[in-house]
Amino acid sequence: MDASATRNFTTLFDNALLAQIERMRLRPLRRLTNRSRGEHLSGKGGSSTDFADYRDYAAGDDLRYVDWNIFARLQRPYIKQFQHEEELHVVLLVDASTSMLFGDKLLTAKRAAAALGIMGLLNSEKVSVYAVHAQESQPWMLPPGSGRTRIRALLQFLENVAGGGDIPVEDAVARMLRFHRGRGVAILASDFLTLGDLSRPMNMLYSAGLEVWGLQILSDAEIAPNVEGDLRFVDSETGYTLDITNAGELLSIYHDQRLRLQATLDNMCRRRQGRFLSVSSAVPFSDLLFDCLCRQGWVQR
Amino acid sequence: MNFLNFVNLYGAWFFLAVIPLVILYFLKLRRPKVDVPSLALWQSVLNDQRVNSPFQKFRRNLLLLLQLLLLALVILALMQPFVPADAGTSEYLPLLIDNSASMGAIDEGSGKSRLDSVRERVREQIENLSGSQQIALFTFSSTGRRLTEFTNDRRQLLKALDEIRPTDLPAKLDDVLRMTAAYTTSFPIDRVTVLTDGNLQEKVEFELPFNLNIVRIGAPADNLGITELSARRSGAEEWEVFVRVTGSAEQLLEAELQLFENGQQTQSSKVEVSKDDAERLVFPVAGQQTVLLEARLVPTGFDALAADNSVWLSLPAVRPLKVLSSESLNSWRRAAAAVPNVESGVISGETGSVPDGSWDLLISDKPDDAKLPIPVKVLVGIIPEDLKSLVTVKEELGAVVDWNRTAPLLRHVQLAEVEFAELPAYAEGASTKDLEDRGYEVLVDGKAGPLLLQKREGLQTTWWFTFHTDRSTLPFRVGFPILAANAVDTAMKQSSLAEVNAAPTGVLPAQNLDPETEYRVRSPDGTFTTLRSNGAGMLVGASAGRVGLYEILDGEETVAAVGTGLLNIHETSLADVEELKFTEAAVATQAAEKLATDQPLWWILAFAGLGMLLFEWWYFQRARNAE
Repeated sequence: MDASATRNFTTLFDNALLAQIERMRLRPLRRLTNRSRGEHLSGKGGSSTDFADYRDYAAGDDLRYVDWNIFARLQRPYIKQFQHEEELHVVLLVDASTSMLFGDKLLTAKRAAAALGIMGLLNSEKVSVYAVHAQESQPWMLPPGSGRTRIRALLQFLENVAGGGDIPVEDAVARMLRFHRGRGVAILASDFLTLGDLSRPMNMLYSAGLEVWGLQILSDAEIAPNVEGDLRFVDSETGYTLDITNAGELLSIYHDQRLRLQATLDNMCRRRQGRFLSVSSAVPFSDLLFDCLCRQGWVQR
Repeated sequence: MNFLNFVNLYGAWFFLAVIPLVILYFLKLRRPKVDVPSLALWQSVLNDQRVNSPFQKFRRNLLLLLQLLLLALVILALMQPFVPADAGTSEYLPLLIDNSASMGAIDEGSGKSRLDSVRERVREQIENLSGSQQIALFTFSSTGRRLTEFTNDRRQLLKALDEIRPTDLPAKLDDVLRMTAAYTTSFPIDRVTVLTDGNLQEKVEFELPFNLNIVRIGAPADNLGITELSARRSGAEEWEVFVRVTGSAEQLLEAELQLFENGQQTQSSKVEVSKDDAERLVFPVAGQQTVLLEARLVPTGFDALAADNSVWLSLPAVRPLKVLSSESLNSWRRAAAAVPNVESGVISGETGSVPDGSWDLLISDKPDDAKLPIPVKVLVGIIPEDLKSLVTVKEELGAVVDWNRTAPLLRHVQLAEVEFAELPAYAEGASTKDLEDRGYEVLVDGKAGPLLLQKREGLQTTWWFTFHTDRSTLPFRVGFPILAANAVDTAMKQSSLAEVNAAPTGVLPAQNLDPETEYRVRSPDGTFTTLRSNGAGMLVGASAGRVGLYEILDGEETVAAVGTGLLNIHETSLADVEELKFTEAAVATQAAEKLATDQPLWWILAFAGLGMLLFEWWYFQRARNAE
């Protein structure tokens, strides 16, 4: 660890970037929040100062919320409604399987998780982190917590996440849900390269009251593989092999299949009130954070 | 008809090599290992319908398919496929090649002879010979000749083919067909191919035991030739030489006919002949000495055939016919003496002594005279020794029943009312057939037996009157001097004193030389043949396949010179026949630009295999460079 690293708060990004992250907030699509009070506005009927709507007065309503100006003008009582300020549970799932070791995908995933987790913590949300590694072992887990004081723990946890696991992402989701409780946003940082069915973990997340944010991280070797001739591909996680003849001739089909996978994942997330983004691990993280995520509406500055 | 046949069908067993090839291909296929994060995307690529389309599958295993294709091509080439020429293609193919004189005719355009064209086509057939097929080569002109046995040895066949040369002989198909028919007992011959220019005799006395395929090669050509050369005695000391020149073209062709006497040109004449307008020329030639005459035709324009432009003729010195007769046969002697240019001699009736000299005709009633070496004999009142057991003479009146009116001796002779005091009769059980078996021909039949017999031995002709003419009314008949004149005429012809015809090629005319002597015959091309004269001094059987002068040598001395010529109007005409009439069937001749031969395909497959190998090499190198 060099001298500059020691000066930084974390090894995942420098302090300047951290400062910028601290000023950013998550932008969930729905208000799937916990009952406990938080800083997130969650629909009408809350007690915040943010006006939401009017409704007819009903017997028993608190007279303090009657809009007397409207009553004076229309001679009918209307109740002012204010948005809830509730706590949002942010669940970060980092895929720590071997496939994520290719092309700094795991590092990108950890950085993204750290940034989004910091945003959640600074917004008084409950943030929990899961790094699913091996089939046999339990997931590495950072229990839910909130507040600025959790930032240090969050960063340390993520810094210590190592790749090399063999668990597919769908199993990782199922295993994470064994430990998780609470509604909110589930952010999956993975390459989503699995032979299994991804619709099941998506359904499980949705059923658990989690809004599914899929962040697919692919290396350049996966986005634009440079292969030619007759090859034997070896799966990094399972060790299975696949013989490909004239790989160069199949690249166009490969790209079609990759785009089809992205479209499928995007569709899965959108149908479950979520969102999806596929990025390259080669893209500078600041670009990812301030350009891609902002433009896609994941976060706001 | 099978579209495709294979010479080596057992080669198909090599297709079993496909199994080890496929096994080795997959065993030997070494793919570089590439670690990928996940097989998910590539697996979905392989599951894609486009990858699994037949064309994509083909591309995926292109190298294997190329190797299989290469193997298939090599094996097919080994099996030697060929497209059969026709359904009649058989294993044994006799090829009868016409090498008669007309096959030497030159095509004006190409400068090639008809035989050259035939040779090219046969060469093609030999070179395309499939493995199990065997060819036997025959040539035919006036006779047939076998060049090779049935063989598939291309070198032997090509060597024999190259040695074929056109002869100066007319074409005759019978002999070679009989020769080929003899092979049908040993080989299953279905079809016999005749390669000819079509210049054949239309009628062939032969029963075909096989299918005959007559291929006609050669185009019509302009030709002039001498088709007749003869001499007739004219007066006491002169010959009249007749020359007929015939052409093959519709239009008139010009030439100069030159006459050479003992090698010196003495006369010449311009001739113009066409196909329908032959020209006959007459030249007077002095006959005091023996003359070796050559008629030579020098065409002005193109002449396809050179063999018929020269003819030789030996003219003997003119002299009287020498007739020797018995003293007792006055009637015969007087009748013979009445014929012009006859010199008579008499055999003494008392001593039987024969005057010195060479005699041409003997007329005698003495049995001992029958042994005299005279070419033509008339023996009166004598039964041949070998017929005495078959024919006896009775002392009864006899009469003529019938006679051969076309026999040279009996031409214009009326025998209807001739009576005889003797009656020749067959012995019991004997018949005409017994006489014929002994070489005699009955010219006049009496009521009980033969009255006049004829026997030919070589150049000798003997007539036997089984009754004595002096004991008949014959000498008093008008026909008697005619009979004697016919005998003199025959003797004159026999001695070449009245008429001489040029000898056609084939066999030299018999020569009367010293008996039992060995002679060498030098042919025009300088080769020698040794022959021996028979007991009668006749030298016969000398082959004369070339036009020109043949010299007969006794040691180093030339004892005779005989010239020959093609002298065949059919060959000179270069005409072709459309159909040959055999004994039982007619066979059409087929004009063929190209001889139908089996078309081998192995070389195409071999080239395709080579191309496939190069493509595979390029493809493999390209894949390796890409890695």
